[in-house]
Amino acid sequence: MTTATQIAEKLDSLPESSAIALKIRAEQYFDIIRGILDIFAKKKEMDSIYVTATIPCQSIMNALQVLEIDTEHIWFVDCISQIMMSIGEKHPHAIYVESPTMLENLMLKVEYLIRRSEGKKNLVILDNINSLAIHNNIKILSEFLHILVNNLRSKNTYTIIFSMEEYETEEMTNMLNLVCDETMNLEAG
Amino acid sequence: MLGRDARDRRERCKTGIEGLDNILNGGVPRGNTVLVTGSVGTGKTSLCLEFLVHGSNTNEPSLYVSVTEPCDKLLKNIIPYDFFDDSLMTDGKLHFIDLPTVYERLGLEKAEFDFEEVGILISAIASIVHELGIKRLVIDSITSVCYRLKSQENIRDFILKLGSVLSEMGCTSFLVSEISPAEERYSLYGVEEAIADGVIVTGNLERRGDLLRTLQVVKMRGTMHSRAKYVLDLTTVGVLLVPLLKGGSVAGGG
Repeated sequence: MTTATQIAEKLDSLPESSAIALKIRAEQYFDIIRGILDIFAKKKEMDSIYVTATIPCQSIMNALQVLEIDTEHIWFVDCISQIMMSIGEKHPHAIYVESPTMLENLMLKVEYLIRRSEGKKNLVILDNINSLAIHNNIKILSEFLHILVNNLRSKNTYTIIFSMEEYETEEMTNMLNLVCDETMNLEAG
Repeated sequence: MLGRDARDRRERCKTGIEGLDNILNGGVPRGNTVLVTGSVGTGKTSLCLEFLVHGSNTNEPSLYVSVTEPCDKLLKNIIPYDFFDDSLMTDGKLHFIDLPTVYERLGLEKAEFDFEEVGILISAIASIVHELGIKRLVIDSITSVCYRLKSQENIRDFILKLGSVLSEMGCTSFLVSEISPAEERYSLYGVEEAIADGVIVTGNLERRGDLLRTLQVVKMRGTMHSRAKYVLDLTTVGVLLVPLLKGGSVAGGG
């Protein structure tokens, strides 16, 4: 079983509106993206909201194109391009947050995209918690995750929080365990 | 004295702004006069316009009284709300009036109004509200009206009588108050907030170089409500609100 199908099947087995902490290694990244966006979300006919705090959304979109993943139902909240002063041409599927420290605005943009989806089921990916931890202290980050996850749960939205295994601290592990329903580690594909 | 249950049983005027209605435990108690106060660029006018648009969409005729900016100019700059349609105006559900035009028609052309002229102005607003069957009113801004009233007695009298007349007609009103960012009070003249039934404060909070738009309901007669500070965003789906995260707040900020 490939990593992509493995993640899609695991997600499929979870109850609706679950919050999942997904511990990933760099080499698994694209397989995981394919599994979530191209297999799981497509099967469930969900709109995906991809929050990127690590690399600009344009880079992710380019990668999705190479992977031949349809981006029609994928929307981005980009928290990093503006602070890097590298937005360039704004993408119609992207909303920009000025800085990854503006966690409230991040929540507001996610809320906005959910409202725009007009009743469709949604999946929110937070990529990744380690990058957000560079810009925010653990106290405010915990508060943010607690509010975000509970808000999304009340809207029957799946939440998937990426955490890069090699950069996860004990504090982060505790925080993710507290707010998420499930923690997933994937075997090498 | 009304108990907690009685206060929460008062009929509500749902603002239609989901976050605000949640903060207010269902909406503004109908007939309340609410001061919406804040410095420039904090979202007061957008919040008030949305309150009116939602009202007109739910068959509550709504009126925006502009004091400083001509309505034409205001409408050109309105957020392109998903729920706003020009037909609301042509169908007579949403009205815009320039107050300087009303002053002119009433012959109130002096820079300063006396007690009698204050009465004429209140009667004029009340008769417009009555004739159009208005259920939601915004005066933007009350500060500009108060500028002509000068004395605190006149301002107190104006807000008190206007609020009373509107409330009797079942009209819920938002009065916009402009303050400078450094102000530690809620209005320029210091009496408006004491007389109003409710006070909603919008502001800018600077946190580590980021500027956040905030909203806080500090007073609302007739309902239990949250007094916490929220962060707001002005979007095409309307005003969105989330709680202000406290983990990173600066002491005494905003």
